Amino acid sequence: MISDPTMTITGARQRQGGFTVLQKWVSRALAGNLSCLIVPGPEVALSHGLDVTAAGMRITATPRDASVLLIIGELSEKMSEAVAVLYAQMPRPRAIVILGGQPPSTLPDADFSAGVSQAGLIDAVDWLKRALAKGAFSDSPEDFDAAVLHARIDYVCPMHPEVVQNEPGSCPKCGMDLVAREAGEPAPEHDHDHGHDHREHRHHEHEHQHHDHAQQHEHHEQERHHGHCHEHHDSHEHDHEQHEGHQHSHENHHDHGHKHQHDESDGDAEEKGSGHDHGGHDHGASGFMSMIEVTKDLPRSADGLAMDWMEVPFGPVFPGLPGGLKLTLTLDGDGVTEGQATSLVGMINESEKGKEIDAETFIERLASAMPLASVSYRLLACLAIERAAGLENDSATDQARAVALECERIASHLGWLAQTGRQLGFAWLTDRAATLQLEIRRASGKRLLELTPALQALAARLGRTPLLKSRLKGIGILPSGTGGLSGPVARAADDAGDAWARLWQRLDEIITSLDYIKATGEPGLPVLRNIGRGSGTGEATVETPRGEAQLSLILEHGQVKSYRLDTACSHHIGLVAKLVEGRELGDALVAVGSLDLSPWEVIS
Amino acid sequence: MNFVIVLVALLGSVWLLAVVEGWTTTGRLRPAAPLLSGLAHLGRESIVPRTPDRVFFETAPVLLLIVAVLGAAVLPLAPTLVIADLATGALFINAALAYVLVALIMAGWGPNGAYAMIGGWRFLGQLIAYAMLIVMPITAVAMRAESLVTTVIVGSQGGLWNIVYQPLGFVLFFIAAMALAFRAPFDLPTAPGELGGGVDAEYTGVRLGVLRLARLTLVITLASATTVFYLGGWHGPLLPPWAWSLIKTLAVAVSMLLAGRYLPRIREADLMRWCWTLGIPLALLNIIVVGLLVLVVP
Repeated sequence: MISDPTMTITGARQRQGGFTVLQKWVSRALAGNLSCLIVPGPEVALSHGLDVTAAGMRITATPRDASVLLIIGELSEKMSEAVAVLYAQMPRPRAIVILGGQPPSTLPDADFSAGVSQAGLIDAVDWLKRALAKGAFSDSPEDFDAAVLHARIDYVCPMHPEVVQNEPGSCPKCGMDLVAREAGEPAPEHDHDHGHDHREHRHHEHEHQHHDHAQQHEHHEQERHHGHCHEHHDSHEHDHEQHEGHQHSHENHHDHGHKHQHDESDGDAEEKGSGHDHGGHDHGASGFMSMIEVTKDLPRSADGLAMDWMEVPFGPVFPGLPGGLKLTLTLDGDGVTEGQATSLVGMINESEKGKEIDAETFIERLASAMPLASVSYRLLACLAIERAAGLENDSATDQARAVALECERIASHLGWLAQTGRQLGFAWLTDRAATLQLEIRRASGKRLLELTPALQALAARLGRTPLLKSRLKGIGILPSGTGGLSGPVARAADDAGDAWARLWQRLDEIITSLDYIKATGEPGLPVLRNIGRGSGTGEATVETPRGEAQLSLILEHGQVKSYRLDTACSHHIGLVAKLVEGRELGDALVAVGSLDLSPWEVIS
Repeated sequence: MNFVIVLVALLGSVWLLAVVEGWTTTGRLRPAAPLLSGLAHLGRESIVPRTPDRVFFETAPVLLLIVAVLGAAVLPLAPTLVIADLATGALFINAALAYVLVALIMAGWGPNGAYAMIGGWRFLGQLIAYAMLIVMPITAVAMRAESLVTTVIVGSQGGLWNIVYQPLGFVLFFIAAMALAFRAPFDLPTAPGELGGGVDAEYTGVRLGVLRLARLTLVITLASATTVFYLGGWHGPLLPPWAWSLIKTLAVAVSMLLAGRYLPRIREADLMRWCWTLGIPLALLNIIVVGLLVLVVP
């Protein structure tokens, strides 16, 4: 499918001015060299059976290294905002490919779109290569811009916070130079006890705009990573209102561009009223910055060191985490002081009031809302609807469905292994698990059993891999008495309850599922049996790869009137805060990864 | 003249290493691929992040490349084929490679991004872990050769290579060299799965191209150092001396590359603990053993 006969790549122009002749020539000559960032993530591509590498694109970890933004499926509103930030970070020439979805409103039109299929992906790569080779760069692409990228800059007098202008100048009251800040929403409450520490990072960001506000048009390119800056703007006003009067911190930092710790300790001192001598901090005069002075009012970390704390987002598109999951960690150095996870793609629980959905549509919708476990949720919906309609169980159908569920369990656990490999930088594991996952997806029952030795070999290999045990053992131990667990996480909790135990639990389950398939027979994709125009209430529970999912619904004349869905991931996501607290960054990410959270299955 | 030859050899090795790297990751042997993807950086926009420390940001990739080339300058390919046959060659390479830390901290600080910054500081921790394990094994090598001149060190291995004479030192140096080159499983400063690229994260276009070239050059330099210190440098039958140097260097570089592919990234705390509680005592033991051998064996 060719979406645009003129073959113009929309996001192609260089930021300042056009392409140089050399750049254009090189881009044309090396059109075959495509690298892509997959949104929501590589694991979604795999679960759809897409082999991006085979289609001829390299998968990259960061937007900075990508030339193609590959979007798979529909994006939620929050994801669309995050994607705009990612797109803004990509160097030109850059292209957007959308498989099976609508272009998000925050992005320019897609350069190529097709359905979710390997053929569509291959077409897209072909088209991009040809377009680039022909030099199909848009002559006058508009500068990419989206509301989410904006931070309004205004100028405020350090002494008189009521003096605010939208251009630089000097204060009419005291004649001081106005300083720039990012304007935003009214400040939220900083109710947690170290609320002021979070500001350090923001401070750091906005203060630099003194040097730099002339380049505001470039501003959006700088959103640091993966969609977070816009959420940070809110507290600047708050800062300045509270800390009026220590203007030296603003004067000095022309020479001391990065010594933001200085500002912070001043701020603290004032807040706490400890009354230490501000003059002593003026390293603009003394030329010496004492680390003891600078850090003496900062909170102590678990290791007893005083550090700047900063809030750093990981996700929603991050190589070490499942796409759509956003982990916000407060870091001191690379220790995590606190963190929480949210899903940007989770399903909304309640159906719209008074809106009935056709049973078949409901099943399709539920299955496509859960790309990482679509068979399980298809089965869940079928079961609940059939029970509501009062259909008896049919053992042959049940058996075929159960085999399909076990197949998906194997594929899903392999997907998790590939994801873990990405997180741990264990390239062999990622490649091997991804290859096996794709084969399992394409395999029939017989072929599936032929893969048994390969899967057993994978498990044996992991048992022998040096460093793996020391990396996982003792990480992500669940606090005793944690309730609401299910799936592999719950089953591994009886063992050691750490990431190592969860790895082996999943590897064991792969083998168990294979044995079940061997003993039972061919898989059959769950299809709704004839329910006529039945009515009633139905409830079903399915053990999905990630744990128990429960669906109850009311059926009226073959239409789903209302439903309630409860999933394991909705509960497991709450564990994140406890698992990451006080750990090193690497360990915290491993702990979160070991839960195998599917953000799609987090119901809000 | 030597300068040009060594530089060409260095670039050639980098190219071969990149070909092998591509081969292991994609399964296809494509000799042109590294050149093309290197060149492709020229066709892409090179973005400067908002509010960077411009000096640090621009300097870091170039500094890393210079450091790697400086290190290679004292490593001989053949008895006379060395850019600078310094009297303190073995010491000089240490001094040069110390600037890897400086380059990485600059690359971490420069772009004003959290991932990059954490990556840069992580390498400081990594330096504390590996630094002694670079210096102490080299000490033992110099003890045997009774010289810091790299050509003399190679000459001292004419009868018996150091990998046999002091295997413990070789193992320690090899691991420490991998950590210095921040290759997987020691890629803590870049760690794609943990820091989204870390110190690499904000570089694009030409700058990214330079950074990648520098990283590969650093691997070759360290592989070449391993060859000179432990694998008998240019010694070998039939082939000319420079060929042996290149073959050994590439073999070491490729094995560094492959090790990373089959291992998960090491935990920072483990790296530090093992290096200090295990690595340094072993390095001391190595020095004692080599000292005794030097005294006892004529």
